[in-house]
Amino acid sequence: MTAESHALTQVEPVEHSPVATLAHDARGGISNPILGMLLFLASEVMFFAGLFAAYFNSRANTTPWPPAEFEGLLDPLSLILVATIILVASSFTCQFAVWAIRRDDRTGFLRNMGATLILGIAFLLLQAYDYSVLFDEGMTMSAGPFGTTYFTLTGFHGAHVFGGVIMLGVVMYRGMVGQFSGRHHDMVEATSLYWHFVDIVWIVLFSVLYLL
Amino acid sequence: MHPLRHPRNALAVGAMFVLVSAGFLLFAEPLGYGIDFAGVTMLFALGIAMALMAYVLIAGSPRE
Amino acid sequence: MATHALTPAATYSRGGLYEWLTTTDHKKIGILYLVNSFVFFFIAGLMALAVRAELSAPGLQYLTDEHLYNQLFTMHASIMIFLFIIPILAGLGNYAVPLQIGAPDMAFPRINALSFWMLPLAGVLLMAGFVTGGAAAAGWTSYPPLASDRPLASTGSGQDLWIVGVVLIGTSSILGAVNFLVTIFKMRAPGMTLFRMPIMVWTMLVTSVLVLLATPVITGALVMLFIDRNLGGNFFDPATGGNAVLYQNVFWFYSHPAVYVMVLPAMGVISEVLPVFSRKPLFGYKAFVFATAAIGALGFSVWAHHMFTTGAVFLPFFALLTFMIAVPTGVKMFNWIFTMVRGQLTFSTPLLFALGFLSMFLIGGINGAFSAAVPVDFALHDTYWVVAHLHYVLFGGSVFGVFAGVYYWFGKMTGRMLDETLGKIQFVLMFIGFNLTFFPMHMLGLAGMPRRIADYAANVGWNDWNLAATIGGFLIAASMLPFLWNVFVSLRNGRIAGDDPWEANTLEWATSSPPPPYNFDHLPEIRSERPLFDLRHGRNGH
Repeated sequence: MTAESHALTQVEPVEHSPVATLAHDARGGISNPILGMLLFLASEVMFFAGLFAAYFNSRANTTPWPPAEFEGLLDPLSLILVATIILVASSFTCQFAVWAIRRDDRTGFLRNMGATLILGIAFLLLQAYDYSVLFDEGMTMSAGPFGTTYFTLTGFHGAHVFGGVIMLGVVMYRGMVGQFSGRHHDMVEATSLYWHFVDIVWIVLFSVLYLL
Repeated sequence: MHPLRHPRNALAVGAMFVLVSAGFLLFAEPLGYGIDFAGVTMLFALGIAMALMAYVLIAGSPRE
Repeated sequence: MATHALTPAATYSRGGLYEWLTTTDHKKIGILYLVNSFVFFFIAGLMALAVRAELSAPGLQYLTDEHLYNQLFTMHASIMIFLFIIPILAGLGNYAVPLQIGAPDMAFPRINALSFWMLPLAGVLLMAGFVTGGAAAAGWTSYPPLASDRPLASTGSGQDLWIVGVVLIGTSSILGAVNFLVTIFKMRAPGMTLFRMPIMVWTMLVTSVLVLLATPVITGALVMLFIDRNLGGNFFDPATGGNAVLYQNVFWFYSHPAVYVMVLPAMGVISEVLPVFSRKPLFGYKAFVFATAAIGALGFSVWAHHMFTTGAVFLPFFALLTFMIAVPTGVKMFNWIFTMVRGQLTFSTPLLFALGFLSMFLIGGINGAFSAAVPVDFALHDTYWVVAHLHYVLFGGSVFGVFAGVYYWFGKMTGRMLDETLGKIQFVLMFIGFNLTFFPMHMLGLAGMPRRIADYAANVGWNDWNLAATIGGFLIAASMLPFLWNVFVSLRNGRIAGDDPWEANTLEWATSSPPPPYNFDHLPEIRSERPLFDLRHGRNGH
C-alpha cells in the first residue's frame, strides 16, 4: 500500500457524511449494490426530467391551462391528497423498517415493511380509482396536451410504484424466510432508497400538477 | 478523492448545471429569444442528478 | 515481483457454446459485444452500400421504391449508432477496464451479461420491421410529425418496433453505465488512485456519466412518441395542441451527449496506443483528464445546435457553448501529438489506425466548427456537409479508434496476434476508401445537395462527386476482406502473443494472454499510471 505517495490533505472522514449510515463494505466504501441503486436513481431523475420538460413546454404553449373544460378537475383537496398522505406515510414505515433491520430487530422490520407494502398497494388502488373518475369527466390520454402530460407523468410514476411494490414484496418474502440480518441487508437498503425516490417524485408531481 | 478535500465539494458539478439552467432561463428574453422551458427543466434536473451521482461516487468510495 | 508463467494460451479452455451463452466473465462478455457489434456493422454497411449504389448516378436505378430507400438510410444509421458503435466501445471497455484497474471482474457480472444479451434481442426487433411490412423509415432521428404518421413513417409496425428496440438498447446502456461507475470507483487495486488510472478507464468513466444521465431522456422522448402513435397522445401534434419541436428538443438533449459516448472511449483507445508505440508517456495526463471531463460537461449544454433552423432556439447560447468544445478537444489533440514528438515510433497497425484517427477526427472537428456558426449552419443544415461531418468524426474518428483497439488487444483476448501485413493492407484501403467516400460530401453539401434523398437531378453538377463517393464506399467494403481474413487465419495460426507482446504500460499486460478467469495471479506494485513500465525499469513512477 502506498500511503505516503503524496502528502495527503486531511480528508473529512466518510463517517460524518449522509452516506455514512448506509451499509459499508470491508474496504470502507458504500456497498456495491447500494451504490448501484443510487446511480440508477440518478438516471431515473433524468427519465422524469424528459417527461417534465414536455409538461412545462406544453403548459407554456397552451392557454388557458388547465383548459376550460377541465377547470377545477385536478383538485388537490380531494382523494389524491389521501393518496399522497398514504405514500408519504409508507416512506416513514419503510425507513422504520430499515432502522429496525439495522439493529437486527427482525420483527420490527417485518411489521414495518408489511405496512409499507400495504400502503403502497393502497396508493396504486387509489390512483386507479382516481383515473376512473377523471375518465368519467372526459379527461383522457387524448384530451389535448393537458390530458396526455397528466396521464403520462402519473402513469409512469405509477409504473415505478408498481415496480417498487414488487421489490417490497420480494424483500418481505426474503425477510420472512430469514435472509436478512443486522449485518446483511443490502437489498432492504437499496429497496428503501428506491421507495423514498418514488415518494419524492410523487411530491414533486403532486406539487406541479395540482398546486402550480 | 483527495483533490476534492470533501465529498460535499462534488456537488459543485451539479450546482454548475443548475446555474447554467438559470442562465438559460433568465438571459433568453432579454436577448430577444423565447424561453425554452423544456431545456430549462432538463438542465435543472441534470444538475440535481449530476450532484446526486457525483456525491455518492465520491462519498461512497473506499478510503485510500 | 513477476507474474508466474500461467497456462499457455493454446491450452486455455475457450469454453463451449453453453459457456459463451451463460458467461458472466467480463472478458467473454466483452468479446461477445465485439462479435455482435461487428455483425451489425456489416449489416448496416451493406445498407450503406445499397444507398451509395442508388446515389451513384441520377435516376432511380435499383431502389425504385423510394420508401425502401428511406428504410435503408434510417436503419443504416440506427444500427450503426445503437447496435455498432455504442456497444462496441462498451465492449472494449468491458474487456479492458477491470483488467486495467487490477480487478477480478466488473461490479455486477450478471447485470453485465444481461446488458449484453439485450442487444441481439433489440437488433432482431429493429430488423423485424423489414419482414413485418416495413422497417422504420423516418430517419434515425425519427421526428414527428413524420414519425407519428402511419403509414408514412413505416407501412408496418417498423416504427414501433424501432421505438421498443431503441428503448431496450438504452436500458442495456444505462445498466452498463452503472456497472462501469461502481467498478471504477469501488474495485481499483490498492495503489491505483483515480489519477493513476489508464486514460481508457477515465474515458469510460466520463462516457458512463453521459450514458447514465442522458440516455433516460431519449427513453422519455421515445415513450412520448409511442404514446402519440399508439395511445392517442397529443405531445407533438400541433393540430391537437402539441408541439413538434418539443420532440427535437428532448431527443437532442440525449443525442448530443450520445455523440461523445460514441467517441470518448475511442479517444481512450488512442491514448493507450500512442504512448506504447511512441515509447513515451502520454503528454499531459492531468490536462487530458480535465479536458475529457470538460467535454462531457459541455456536451450536455449544446444540444440545440442540431435545431438551429427551427426558430425556437436561444442561438447565441448554443453557438457559444458549441465553439467552446473545440478548446478541450484541441488540448487533447496537442496531448496526443506531443506524446509522439521526440518519441521512438513503431509504425504498427494499431499506431496507423491511431494516426488515422488523429487526422480524420481533426478534419471532422474543423468542419464541425464551421457548422457551429449559426449563419453557416442555416445554409448547411440537412445537406451533405453534415453527412461529411458526422462520418469524419464517427468513422474517421471512432471506427478507426475501434480498429486500433482491436489490433492492440486481439492478442490479449485470444492469445494470438493479428497479422501486421494484412492489417496494414486493411488500413490503407480503408483510409483511401473512407476519404474518397466522404470528402466529396463537403463539396456536395456546399453545392446544396440535401440529405436523405433517393435521387437527384442530372444537371445540377452533383454527379461526379456522388460517383466518387460510391466508389469510395465499395473500397471501404473491400477493406473489410483483409480484416476478416486476418481474424480467420490469426485465430488458427497467428503469432503467440505471450503476456506483453507490445512492451506496454498498463496492468492488462501483467497477466497471460488470454487472462485466467480471475484475471491476475499477482499484481505489480502501482505507483504511477504506467505500472508495467515501472516494473520493467525498476523505478518509481511519478
